[in-house]
Amino acid sequence: MAEDEGALIRRIAGKDKKAFEALYQLYYRRLFGYLVKVTRRVELVEEVLDDVMLAIWSGAHKFDGRSRPSTWIFGIAYHKAIKALARRRPEETGGHEDEAARIDHEEPESLMVRRELSGVVGKALASLPAEQRAVVELTYFYGRSYQEISAIVGCPVNTVKTRMFHARRKLRLLLPQLGVTSHAG
Amino acid sequence: MREPEDRADRLHQRIWESLPWYVNRTLPPEAAAAVVEHAAVCDRCREEIETCERVAQAVAEAGELAPTPHPVRLTRLLRRIDEHEAGGGRAGIPALLARLRSLAAAAARPLPWMLAAQVAVLLLIGTLLFWPHQEPQFRTLSAPAAVAAEQLTLRVVFNQRATEEEIRRLLLSVRGEITGGPSPFGVYTVTVPASGDPLAKVLEHLRRTPAVELAERAVEPPREGG
Repeated sequence: MAEDEGALIRRIAGKDKKAFEALYQLYYRRLFGYLVKVTRRVELVEEVLDDVMLAIWSGAHKFDGRSRPSTWIFGIAYHKAIKALARRRPEETGGHEDEAARIDHEEPESLMVRRELSGVVGKALASLPAEQRAVVELTYFYGRSYQEISAIVGCPVNTVKTRMFHARRKLRLLLPQLGVTSHAG
Repeated sequence: MREPEDRADRLHQRIWESLPWYVNRTLPPEAAAAVVEHAAVCDRCREEIETCERVAQAVAEAGELAPTPHPVRLTRLLRRIDEHEAGGGRAGIPALLARLRSLAAAAARPLPWMLAAQVAVLLLIGTLLFWPHQEPQFRTLSAPAAVAAEQLTLRVVFNQRATEEEIRRLLLSVRGEITGGPSPFGVYTVTVPASGDPLAKVLEHLRRTPAVELAERAVEPPREGG
């Protein structure tokens, strides 16, 4: 699969729209889920996802094959998500209690989103800064190594470990309902 | 002598930091072996491994919220790409400059006329970029909507198998226009002229069409205050 994705990206570099559509279908759900997890702002996700795909179209010639295609793509998605959040930084209090207000109340489906985001784990993750949340999700949900996370988020391995350190400390305070208690290390 | 204690503390800290990746099984074999060896004699790290496993499980169970991609969404994205390509795109300019630079670098000794030609091309590009131009003849969804006569707002979910042509014909039949969406669950905002067919008739027409799964009048948001 990774080899097929690399071939798709090379074809996209040659402006092959069919290859682009194929990659879009392959990655849409993965990117959507990842962007929801990183931004916790459902209303941002579609806009950021389009920006990511446009960046892939424009920058496919820069993919050199040294990393996995998914690492490269998730890296683009991470940076687009962080930029989108930074543009809205004054609104982001980091508190999950504002999420209900941000979700479009006109959409009945948003109740499903709100339930998912307001669960115990959702609340705990929403309280983390986006950079720490991304590391936690990439580790535990997406099963990435710290080297891959370093490549995705574009920072040294030690920074990845530091972000995880702080995230673990905060989560420890917020997840007693899961029986999660631990020492400081 | 504190040195052995310091070394033990540093080892413990290094192991402790690596535990999330021991739990998700991505540590290199020798690092994983070091965790196993250390955890055998360290209660705190053994407990932290259990903690990380519970967190990992909770995060995995939280699941992933991701709808399937809607064809209209992809169509809109492809149109945006066409506009990007047709406009030269801001991203296209750095690439063009890079090509010009590589051309200049490829020449052993760039001739003066080549340098003058490059400058002329750059000046032309800059002029085209900043020259006032007319609005494009078609309007993208992100462009500000023209002020229209009174409109009625509907929420519509199209059938996943509906083609772009079917959706287009359907909207033309009710003089409807997509002005928002899709939401993560595929809900579009469609406006129809208030001066057209009665709303009940429009909704009935939409609901009867196989291309439509749901059609409702939009609920207006409650006004703040008062």
